[in-house]
Amino acid sequence: MAKTITNYFEELRGTRVWRSVFRSGTGSSPLHRALAVQQNVFLHLFSTKVRTRMLSFSTTWYLGTLTLGTFLILVGTGIPLMFYYHPSVPQAYADTKDLQFVVSSGLFLRNLHRWSAHAMVFLVFAHMFKVFYRGAYRPPREFNWVIGVILLLITLLLSYTGYLLPWDQLAFWAITVGSNIASAVPVMGNKVHFLMLGGNVVNANALLRFYVLHCMILPLVAILFVAIHFWRIRKDGGLYAHQSEPKTVAAQSVPAVTKGVPVQ
Amino acid sequence: MQSSSQSKKDSLSSLWQTLFGHPVRAFGVVSLLLLLFLAIAPAKNHFSEWRHYQKQYLALIRSRGDAVTLERRFHDHDGIQQIWLPQLGVVDRCTSCHAGLKEAGLADVSSQPFRKHPVIPHTLDQYGCVMCHRGQGPATTVEEAHRSTLAWEQPILPARYVQSSCGQCHRAPLTGTPQLNLGRNLLGRYGCVHCHTIKLPDGSAIKPTDDPPSLEHVADKTTREWIYAWLKDPQAYAVTATMPNFKLSDPDARDVSAFLTASSTPLAGDTAPVPQDQKAPDPTAGASLYGESFCASCHAVQNAAGNVVGGDVGPELTRVGTKVKPEWLRAWLRNPRVYDSGTAMPHYRLSDPQLSLLTAFLGNKTDSDLLANVHLDAATPEQIAHGKLLVTEYGCASCHAINGIKKPDNFAPELTRVGSKPLTQIVFLPGMTHAIPDYIAAKIRQPRSFGSALKMPQFSLAPAQIDALTTALLSLTDRAHDLPLALTVPAKPASNYQPAGKAGTLMSDLACFSCHAINGRGGDMAPDLTWEGSSVQRPWLLAFLKNPGTLRPALIRRMPRFNLSDDDAKELTDYIMTAYQTPAFDRDSMPSGGYPPAQVEQGKQLFYSKYACQGCHIVDTKVDKGYVGPTLTQVGSRLNAAWVYHWLKEPQTMRAGTIEPNRNMTDEDARALTAFLMTQKGSSKQEAKK
Repeated sequence: MAKTITNYFEELRGTRVWRSVFRSGTGSSPLHRALAVQQNVFLHLFSTKVRTRMLSFSTTWYLGTLTLGTFLILVGTGIPLMFYYHPSVPQAYADTKDLQFVVSSGLFLRNLHRWSAHAMVFLVFAHMFKVFYRGAYRPPREFNWVIGVILLLITLLLSYTGYLLPWDQLAFWAITVGSNIASAVPVMGNKVHFLMLGGNVVNANALLRFYVLHCMILPLVAILFVAIHFWRIRKDGGLYAHQSEPKTVAAQSVPAVTKGVPVQ
Repeated sequence: MQSSSQSKKDSLSSLWQTLFGHPVRAFGVVSLLLLLFLAIAPAKNHFSEWRHYQKQYLALIRSRGDAVTLERRFHDHDGIQQIWLPQLGVVDRCTSCHAGLKEAGLADVSSQPFRKHPVIPHTLDQYGCVMCHRGQGPATTVEEAHRSTLAWEQPILPARYVQSSCGQCHRAPLTGTPQLNLGRNLLGRYGCVHCHTIKLPDGSAIKPTDDPPSLEHVADKTTREWIYAWLKDPQAYAVTATMPNFKLSDPDARDVSAFLTASSTPLAGDTAPVPQDQKAPDPTAGASLYGESFCASCHAVQNAAGNVVGGDVGPELTRVGTKVKPEWLRAWLRNPRVYDSGTAMPHYRLSDPQLSLLTAFLGNKTDSDLLANVHLDAATPEQIAHGKLLVTEYGCASCHAINGIKKPDNFAPELTRVGSKPLTQIVFLPGMTHAIPDYIAAKIRQPRSFGSALKMPQFSLAPAQIDALTTALLSLTDRAHDLPLALTVPAKPASNYQPAGKAGTLMSDLACFSCHAINGRGGDMAPDLTWEGSSVQRPWLLAFLKNPGTLRPALIRRMPRFNLSDDDAKELTDYIMTAYQTPAFDRDSMPSGGYPPAQVEQGKQLFYSKYACQGCHIVDTKVDKGYVGPTLTQVGSRLNAAWVYHWLKEPQTMRAGTIEPNRNMTDEDARALTAFLMTQKGSSKQEAKK
């Protein structure tokens, strides 16, 4: 049975249509398999070959992948939410109420979006702690760490801009407080505050600005940096696994702790 | 034991192996779990509250006789129901669960949410639900729709205040909203708006109607002891007093009374001594003069049983002798306008003996208990200065004119939009429901319970009055102010009509507007006089002003006699006959007599048979028993013929709100009835008797 399915699949991969889409063609030789990854617009960001131990749970706890997963959920729920939402003062709140009360599974969409957003912030932090405490930020991965820090900021900004959109009291005051923090910046604080809100108080302009940032600019920037992030993993020698540390580092660190007895 | 736990462990680990042992199997299991979780979303949607109620509704109507009709009407639009009023920004989904609101056949169903809505003058589809009931219209769950939640501050309005919602659009009094009308009246009557500004959506402000007396010459009128007792407890002097209790301490009351007495300036006439020769008058003569002058139409007196009897235009007089000085009282009765130019009290032209009678009669209305325990030493300058400070702090000058103190602007918070005040701006008392109606009612009931340092005094109000005031204040919402003008029902604009010339001065002097309304200004105790010139005949009016009689047999009150001089009466008559004419018809278009006897006879027939006017009116005092309308025995010499004719045709056009029914008379019938009525000239003997 399994044989048959494999046969059918092989046959399918041999068809002209398949080959016009996926240029790698049939065959399971390492070259074919490498080409299948290398010649795909999405997969070519990744290494063509990965060691099995790098994919084990203990290496990364899958934190980066889970973060990507929540990001995809957020995009997936965010787009249907946009169908029901007008970023205008008279309608924004009513629209969130409609999502809550009359749109089929609208509350589910909103809640999924909200909890995924919380989860993503949590996972980004966990990911960074893991990377930090494992020392995976060290050369040659220091640039990718910087990209990661930028992605953290983008995540937080996405979370912050999304907070205003329900246009309720909580949103209004949270953004009022948050934007007042920006005016504490020396010299140009008030300018930053004005630029952020499109005015001096949280109002229609701020709502529109935050909507555009939340739904277009920040996600696009995030996708761009995620792509660089993934691509740099390959360029920096794949995922960081303990055993793949440079020998010099390993030589220094191994005698430091031997069976729990500190050595001078 | 250990082996069993071991075997348990083994079976668990083998289960784990079965489920997650192989990556493909693990993937499958996790996917299945995810699917199950995802299925919660449509399931929650399916088992939503409103579907549950719609099913209940179907079960309810299925067992009824008219099930087929009800079911068909329900299925014409099941699912979530919505009333959308874009102009008002209202989206109501209440009818999703309240499915039987419009079903007249469900009048006997008493269980919510399926009860039929009581009959109201509006249709549900045009006005929705939250316009009147508040709550969260778009919600489709019981909790969110009715109660206040984290994101929704406006729960359902308690039914006892529901009239407030009518007041959002209707600015004028409605017959169906007595509580709202009373509350709006009280806002002016208790002088709330002296301190609290209340702007109406049309830009005007509610005006006070309590007319608090000026205190510029208060020492002429009363003693410092009385002021002290009054400040301590106004209702001890007069139960109907609208003056609130400021809960002053003894020294504070002492100092305020000291300042008020010291700041008062004397008026020349007030100190003229009472002539001694008129002392010891006949006590019954004073009482009958009080009655003949119809003082009780405006002033009340508490009788032995504790009931307050009389009108509420002027102050209660139960203990007036303890309050006022006789010299002042005499000067006041002679001409009240000298002391207070804007008073509602008419200038009776009383003779000197009459003045003595009334002064003595009123001076005997005393209460020795009131001032029994008040002993004040002469005021020191410090006390007077402290009194001035207190008078400023408590905003006394918001209501009363006081020498040396300016009327403060916006002394208390503005209440223009108090019905929509955000709950975040309110400090509630412990244990209080966090809702606007409860806050307003508590604040009126006991203002100082929100802090002893608050200045708002304690008003003495009955529970029904507190409810009425709360209702009136609740109607002052954001919606009331932001409503498109086309959707409001405006009140008649307040009129500041003032007749001109000598007659105008005379009418102010006699305070005609305290009882009569003319061109939209004035009281409603007596008939509207706007078209009086078209209505009555000149000789009758002249005689009436000189010596007013009653027109309605069932009425106790009547116009008092002002002892007008011939010139004054003539002046007034001329002015009324000339100025107060309706443009609707010509006064001289019909003769006041000389109608053919056949027509008169026909009119008599119509009067007694077809229209049965004798049900309310009296033409023949021996036979007729009508006590509702005015007596018509001398209508032929009182009313103008053209007025009678037009009155019969369309009474409501001639005087809005009259209870005279419109009988849709033909021209011929009205003419015949007019002819008959104009023959009712009354006997000269009767005239003289009146």
